Amino acid sequence: MKPTENVLEIRNLVKDFPGVRAVNDVSFNIQRNTVHCLVGENGAGKSTLIKILTGAYTRTSGQILLNGEEYRPHSTRAAKQKGISTLFQELNVVDQLTVEENLTLGMEDTTLGFLRRTDKINKMVSVMNSIEPSIKHRQLVSSLSVAQKQIVEIAKAVAAESNIIIMDEPTAAISESEIARLFTIIKALRENNVTVIYISHRLDEIFELGDYVTVMRDGKHIETKPVKEIQDRSELIKMMIGKTVFEQYTPRESDCPDTILQAKHLSNHRLNDISFEIHAGEIAGFYGLVGAGKTELARAIYGVDPYEGEIIFKGKKLLPAPDKAIAAGIALVPEERRSQGLFTILTIRGNVPVMNMGKISRNGFVNNATERNITLEYVDKLKIATNSIDKEAAKLSGGNQQKVVLSKCLFANADLLMLDEPTRGIDVGAKSEIYNLIRQLSREGKTIIIFSSELPEVMNICDSIYLLYDGSLRSALRNNCDVDSEQILHVVTGGE
Amino acid sequence: MQIKQLQKPSKPLTKGTLSDESFITLFMVGVLIVVFGIACFAVPNFYKAQNIINLVTNNWFIIILGIGVTFLLITGNFDMSVGGVIALTGVLAVYFCQGRNVSQNVLANGLGLPYGVAVGLALLCAMGVGAINAFFIARLKVPSIIVTLGTMMLARGTAQVITQGAQRNTSLPDSFGVLGSLGIPGTSIRLAVIVMIVLILVAFIFEKKTVFGRRIYLIGANPVAARLSGINVTRYLTALYLLSSLLAGITGILLASEFKAGVSSRALGYEFDALVVALLGGVSISGGFGSVLGMFLGAIILSVVTSSATGLLLSPDWQFTLKGIVTFIAILAQRFALDKRRN
Repeated sequence: MKPTENVLEIRNLVKDFPGVRAVNDVSFNIQRNTVHCLVGENGAGKSTLIKILTGAYTRTSGQILLNGEEYRPHSTRAAKQKGISTLFQELNVVDQLTVEENLTLGMEDTTLGFLRRTDKINKMVSVMNSIEPSIKHRQLVSSLSVAQKQIVEIAKAVAAESNIIIMDEPTAAISESEIARLFTIIKALRENNVTVIYISHRLDEIFELGDYVTVMRDGKHIETKPVKEIQDRSELIKMMIGKTVFEQYTPRESDCPDTILQAKHLSNHRLNDISFEIHAGEIAGFYGLVGAGKTELARAIYGVDPYEGEIIFKGKKLLPAPDKAIAAGIALVPEERRSQGLFTILTIRGNVPVMNMGKISRNGFVNNATERNITLEYVDKLKIATNSIDKEAAKLSGGNQQKVVLSKCLFANADLLMLDEPTRGIDVGAKSEIYNLIRQLSREGKTIIIFSSELPEVMNICDSIYLLYDGSLRSALRNNCDVDSEQILHVVTGGE
Repeated sequence: MQIKQLQKPSKPLTKGTLSDESFITLFMVGVLIVVFGIACFAVPNFYKAQNIINLVTNNWFIIILGIGVTFLLITGNFDMSVGGVIALTGVLAVYFCQGRNVSQNVLANGLGLPYGVAVGLALLCAMGVGAINAFFIARLKVPSIIVTLGTMMLARGTAQVITQGAQRNTSLPDSFGVLGSLGIPGTSIRLAVIVMIVLILVAFIFEKKTVFGRRIYLIGANPVAARLSGINVTRYLTALYLLSSLLAGITGILLASEFKAGVSSRALGYEFDALVVALLGGVSISGGFGSVLGMFLGAIILSVVTSSATGLLLSPDWQFTLKGIVTFIAILAQRFALDKRRN
C-alpha cells in the first residue's frame, strides 16, 4: 500500500450533544510525519474531536480517512489497533505495577491464562530504553516522575507500532527541563515515521515544536496553517478569539467603595501567594486557562481545601469550612455541576432548599408546603423547564440542571455568590439567561465572583478582572471597555 | 426551532407521579402479600391472628437494629458491628450487676453496681464502640465496611474475654429480669415489642419530617455536594453511628434481661440480618435511597419466610438456604422493577 501524503483526513465532521453542537462541520488534513498542533479556547471542540479520533465518542456525521481508508473506531482499543495512541492528561499507567508490567498491560502473552515471558517484553523494554535509558524496567511506576510516566506511555505507543500519537497538554504538569526532554523525544518520533497531534494552551510551545497548527473556535475549524507562516503569538491569539461580538459591557455608574472580601497571601498546593480585595456589589472575574488555579482559589475561599494565609469577609476572619462560609454569607456554584453541585438522584424539590433548610423548617421539622412553594418560586423565577418539581434532577438538561444548582445557591441568601464556570457545557440561550441573572443579582446589591476560562464571559459581565497563571495572580484590571483581549491572552498563556 | 417545548406545561407543577420510594414500598407490600398468601395456603393455621402478631413480635430485635443500619445505609455507609455490640452490652450489664466476691467461680463475680447504673454504663460502652466507628469512618474517611467489621470482632471479642468464651448468669439481682419479663399478659407483646413500635414510629417521622432526616438522604445522594452545600457530614455520620450503637445497646440490655444472662455468642449474625432486611426493603446499597418503612416490610417478609419454613417442618438446616433464595429473588425483582420503571 502506497502511503498517502495525509495520514488523517477529516471531512465535515459533526458531533452533537443534547442542546449543543460541540464539533461543527470540521474539515482539515494532517500530514504524515509532522507535529500537528491543535489550539483553541476551552470549549472550542478540541477535546471532543480527540475523543472521536480515539474512539471514546462516536461522531454524529462526517467522515474520517486514515491512510486513505474509512476510519470509524468503536472503542479506544480499536483505535489503538489502527495505530492511534493517546497520551491523556490523566495518564493511563498503573502505579502499583512495574514499568515492565505497565508496558505490556492489556497485551500480555499468556498460556492458559498464565503470564508468559516472551520477546515482546524485551522488545518493549529496549524501545523504552532507546527513548530514556534512566528508567529501569523492574522499577515500580509509582516511583517515577510524571514526565517519566509519560515516557513509559510513549514507549508503549511506539512499541505498539502506532503511527499517530495524540498528546493532550503533556507539559501541564512537568518541569522546564523535563519539557525540553519531551520535545527532543517528540522530534525524534517525527523522524521515525510517527505523526504527533499536539494539544497545548502554551502558545510558545507551538512555535518551538509544531510543523502545522489548526485553530478551532466554538466547535468550528478556523484555520490550518504551517507554523512557519504564522508571524507571532498575537496572530495566533487573533485566530483563537476571532471577532467575537458579545454584548458590550457597560461600566457601572457608581463605584463600589466598601471592601467585602479580602484575601491575604493565600497559598496551598496549587496556589501561590494570592492577595486581592473584592468590593461589595461588584462583579469580579478570575480568568485563566485550565490548570491556572481558578477552581482551587474558589475552593480555598469557600473553605473546602486547606490553605495558608488569611481571608477576611465583612471584617471578620473566615473560618475554613463550607458550612461556616455559608453561615457567614458566601455560596459557591461549583465547577462540576453533576458531581459537586447537584443531588442527581433527588428531585428538583429535594435540591432547591438544601442550603437553607432553616427557612423551610420550624424546630427542625420541615414544612412541606413552604418547601413546595419555594421550589415553585425558583422554577418560575429561573425558568427551569420541567413538568413537575418532583422530577429527578438527573433527567433535566444541562442548562436546567445548572439553574437548579443556581436556585440552591440563591436560596442560601448569600451576600457573596461565587460561580465556578457557570456556563460550561450549556447552550447559548441558557447562557444568556444566566448572564442576565448575574447582572440582576448585582443590581440587587449582591457581590459576585466568577471563575471562568471563557474570556468573552469575563469581559462581558465583570467589573474587575483578575488574571491567573500557574497558581499565581498575574494581573488585576478594571474593565473599562478598552481592556485588550489580546493582551489578556498573552498574560494567561504565560507571557510577561 | 422548538420553541413550543418552552411553553407553560399544561400539568400543574406540583402534581407529581408516584416517587420511586413509594413505588418500591408498594412493590414490597405486593411481595409480602404474595409470600403471605403462599404461606397461608401451604401452612395450616398460618392466617390466624396470633400467628400474624407473632410475625412482627418475634423479630423485634432485627427491626430495632434495622433502624440504625437503614439510616447509615442511606448515607452510603455500613454498620456491621451491631451484633457484637448486643453481645458486649448484655455481657457488660450482667458483669456490672453481679455481686462482688460472692463465689469461688470467677464468672459469678461482678462489680455489684445497682441495676440502673449498670445499664447506663453498659449503654455508654455500646456508644463507645459507635464512637470508634465514627472516628475512623467520619473523621479519617476509612471505608465503613472495614472499620465496622473490625469493631464487630472487637466488641464480641471483649464479650468473650469477660465471659471466658461462655456466659455469665449467676448472682444477679431480681431487678435484672424485670425489663425482659414485662408485657401484656396472654399475648406475645412484651416491653421490647412496645419499644420497637415506638422506635419505628419515631424513626419514620424523623426520616420524613425533620431537617436531620432530609440531610441523611443528601449525604447519601452525593457526599461531595452535601459538604459544599454546608452540611457538616462528619457530624451527621458521627451522630448516626452513635445512634446505631445505642439502639444495638438497648437491644442487648433487653435480651440480657429476658434471658437473665450475658451470653458472648448472643446475636451472632444479626448484623447481616439487619442489612438483609434493609436491602429487602429497597434501601440502596450505594446510598441516597430507601426508607425505614421499607426496612420494616423487609423484616416482615423475612419473618413470614422463616416461620412458614418452621411450620412446614423444614429442618433448620434448610431454613438458611430458603431465606437466602427468597432474599435473592426479592431483591433482584425489586431492582428489575425499578429499572423497568425508570426507562
